[in-house]
Amino acid sequence: MRNRFRHRIRNAIANPNLQVALDRNAERRMAAWNETFASLPDVEDLRRRAREVRQHTLDNLDHYLERFTQRLVENGIRVHRAADAAEACRLAVAITQASGATLVAKSKSITTEEIDLNHSLQQGGIRVVETDLGEFIVQLRGEAPAHIITPAVHLLREDVAATFERELGMPYSTDVEDMNAAAKKVLREVFLTAQVGISGVNFGVVETGTLCLVTNEGNGRMVTTLPPIHIAIMGVERLVPSLDDLALMLQLLPRSATGQKTTSYVTLIQNPRQEGEPDGSDERHVILLDNGRLAMANSPLAESLLCIRCGACLNVCPVFREIGGHAYGSVYPGPIGSVVSPGLFGLSDFGHLAKASTLCGACKEVCPVGIDFPTMLLRVRDAYSNNTPQPLAMWLAMSLYAWLMVSPSRYRLAQRLGAWGSRLLPKQAGWVRTLPPPLSAWTSSRYFPSFAFQPFLARKQRLNYDAKPTPTPQRRKRETEQLTEKSQPEDVVDRFSRELEDIGGTIVRCEEGVAPDKVAAYLREFGITKLIAWGEQQPALNAVIHHLRDKGFEILDPCLPRGSGPERDRRMVDLGRAEAGLTGAIAGVAETGTLVVPAGRNQSQLASLLPPVHLVLLPASVIHQTMTDWLREGGEEAIAGASSLNLISGPSRTADIEMTLTIGVHGPGQVIVFCLD
Amino acid sequence: MSKTVQLFVTCLIDSLFPEIGEAVVEVLMRAGVQVAIPQEQTCCGQPAFNAGYRGPARKMARHTIEVLEDTVGPVVVPSGSCAGMIRHGYLELFADDPTWLLRANMLAERTYELSEFLVDQLGVVDLGASFIGRLAYHPSCHLLRGLGVDHQPLDLLEGVAMAQVHRLKPECCGFGGVFAVDQPEISTEMLKRKLAEINQSEAGVVVGCDVSCLMHIEGGLRHIGSSVRCAHLAQVLAGREATLR
Ligand code: SF4
Repeated sequence: MRNRFRHRIRNAIANPNLQVALDRNAERRMAAWNETFASLPDVEDLRRRAREVRQHTLDNLDHYLERFTQRLVENGIRVHRAADAAEACRLAVAITQASGATLVAKSKSITTEEIDLNHSLQQGGIRVVETDLGEFIVQLRGEAPAHIITPAVHLLREDVAATFERELGMPYSTDVEDMNAAAKKVLREVFLTAQVGISGVNFGVVETGTLCLVTNEGNGRMVTTLPPIHIAIMGVERLVPSLDDLALMLQLLPRSATGQKTTSYVTLIQNPRQEGEPDGSDERHVILLDNGRLAMANSPLAESLLCIRCGACLNVCPVFREIGGHAYGSVYPGPIGSVVSPGLFGLSDFGHLAKASTLCGACKEVCPVGIDFPTMLLRVRDAYSNNTPQPLAMWLAMSLYAWLMVSPSRYRLAQRLGAWGSRLLPKQAGWVRTLPPPLSAWTSSRYFPSFAFQPFLARKQRLNYDAKPTPTPQRRKRETEQLTEKSQPEDVVDRFSRELEDIGGTIVRCEEGVAPDKVAAYLREFGITKLIAWGEQQPALNAVIHHLRDKGFEILDPCLPRGSGPERDRRMVDLGRAEAGLTGAIAGVAETGTLVVPAGRNQSQLASLLPPVHLVLLPASVIHQTMTDWLREGGEEAIAGASSLNLISGPSRTADIEMTLTIGVHGPGQVIVFCLD
Repeated sequence: MSKTVQLFVTCLIDSLFPEIGEAVVEVLMRAGVQVAIPQEQTCCGQPAFNAGYRGPARKMARHTIEVLEDTVGPVVVPSGSCAGMIRHGYLELFADDPTWLLRANMLAERTYELSEFLVDQLGVVDLGASFIGRLAYHPSCHLLRGLGVDHQPLDLLEGVAMAQVHRLKPECCGFGGVFAVDQPEISTEMLKRKLAEINQSEAGVVVGCDVSCLMHIEGGLRHIGSSVRCAHLAQVLAGREATLR
């Protein structure tokens, strides 16, 4: 293991494309990180609270797991417990096979990578397609993800172009938009025909039994909405007690992961499709995976279970920046991987990873839950040196070193020997140029200072300082700049509009009475004639729909037949041709420009997902300043009452190829909000 | 009556860079304190602790605690990482040993890194030093993140007349103790990055509070034939020759 690690490290350092990609990742991600956290008033307080929430959850994990399971069952979701990777795979394969499915659409989930689920599915005769763009790319290349958030972080656009040319038969193009469009085309087909969708879970909310997914491209929504069966796989530790706690985590996760205030989609899943609902998975399963987590919760590495998988520690890690994700040889690379890989998958195979760190602590500094990495890594090193065979020379060296240091006379003797030894070595101005092996590893790129003939402690007697006059201490105040925004509270609708436009959305403010005409004018301008729309809802929306029908726009019936079958496939293809979707929203959140769009009776989810344009009617009166405000003022009930609910912030987006932003991947590329005053 | 501090000089300074030790004494005296130097001190045990060899590390930690616990006054350490070892590392080492934990705790509470001691404890920022030229300050990881000490050395450098001070990015130089020998390729790449930044800063001297990092950086500078040198903060404050040796 160790030798292969060394070998992979050398290869990584010698790979110029990889080095460029990693430098870019580190620089851009950390710049975005700095910027997005600067806009938060009290980051330290947030992180402290987030840590407390996660710690409290872990301290009471048995209790919360039981409650969570109970809630899921009440919500009509089938719950399975898997003790290890093999059991989790068996369960997922069995559910898929029992449904007769042959195609699975998967959204990115590092937990499924951990259990190597794709391999098991394929062995069970099931085709599985990764639908996150980055993950799709690495799947085509037959590689593992190189990062827990950005699987294709190791690639330049030329690499991706070559892969697409080879695997998809696409003409070679390094245009990121072209590549995204090609992937989108292939994947659209998969979404519309897969009978099973498999996803991970970012957070499970105990009090409501909610599954929360945080995504940008829209594939996560597709996978958890379109296929008749949805299987979610989550580690047992990924819980938060309440929706309030979730709101706290949602302030930190996207910022830490991608430098966004929020992601395009936060999907909150409550139930399978209910009576009267036009779409949504008919059957939902949750597989709760242990795979060593519960044992780790009682180990000195327990703290690492606080992790919310944001990937910030990878982005800031100077070692990751040099060697990338694959070199680690674990699905969890970087600082967090160097702790959880030995913790979950075995010390003897992965303990050496903890040594590949300078303990610089940059990871601890950015971690949204403040995991004390230096201490964790030191604990792994301790366990590793105690429980696995170590080179005898190292053990001897350490014992000898301690033996010398606990006796001042032996220490002095060692210093003298060091001084004489330095004499014999080739030097330049008092610095040794070459040391004998194994210390030659040092002098391969640096000189080493020679030992002093007269150490400090031996010199001290000679010192004869004149006690100089004590200067008057002058304390100079350093002006710390206040980075927090200290403006007057902005009008809530103005703030919403600004934030929405910031993330690429469009806002049209109008009187309710003129909304039908405004919407129709917009559609005409874009040449749109075919729409998916919500059914009978609030009067304002109804008025618009009636008006559009009168004006000759085609409004499709969004209702999908249950289960799989040709009728459903046909309808799906038809809906796939819609040029726009029209929905209402039950609330807006100004701080992030977010729309709250539930799924329920007559509320088609596809309307806000499938077509390239999403039109939304939002009464100005339901816009709240913050997520927490909304949760307090009816949000909690809304979440519990909807079979699923999406927090939509601007258009669908990806930056999986060279971190180049592309708008409109799987979900709508345009979000147009008609804000009704 | 002036205050007495105990100087834990660290084995690196003692064995490799005694001049830095002298500069530290001079700085402390200029700041108006008496300096006592416990003669039995050796190494705090950090290299063994960091390498995962806690048995040997505990032996050295016990020795260090025994040497220092009978003395009075603050213990001053001119190294961020060694101060961090005594302040935090010992508590981790003796977490399961209540007697030693208590002794370690008592020592931890009176241990300070040099710049932290000067600025936070004595309120001194101007020691009357001067330096003509450009200094690049390297915020070493254990000092910055382990002890949260950042503005203190900068305050002290601000007090150095005529010096132009540039703070390097808070990025690791790639030293990491055994890491430098265990993972020489990664360590070297990290060092290269640091050297490139130093070169860009156009500073003639890199100043810092961790001798281990400075030794690593100067070793690298000399290896590439650069004329830039490193100096401990105390050497600059004492107005001594700005080079490690
Ligand atoms: S350990 Fe912290 S920084 Fe790293 S992925 Fe987990 S939450 Fe993010």
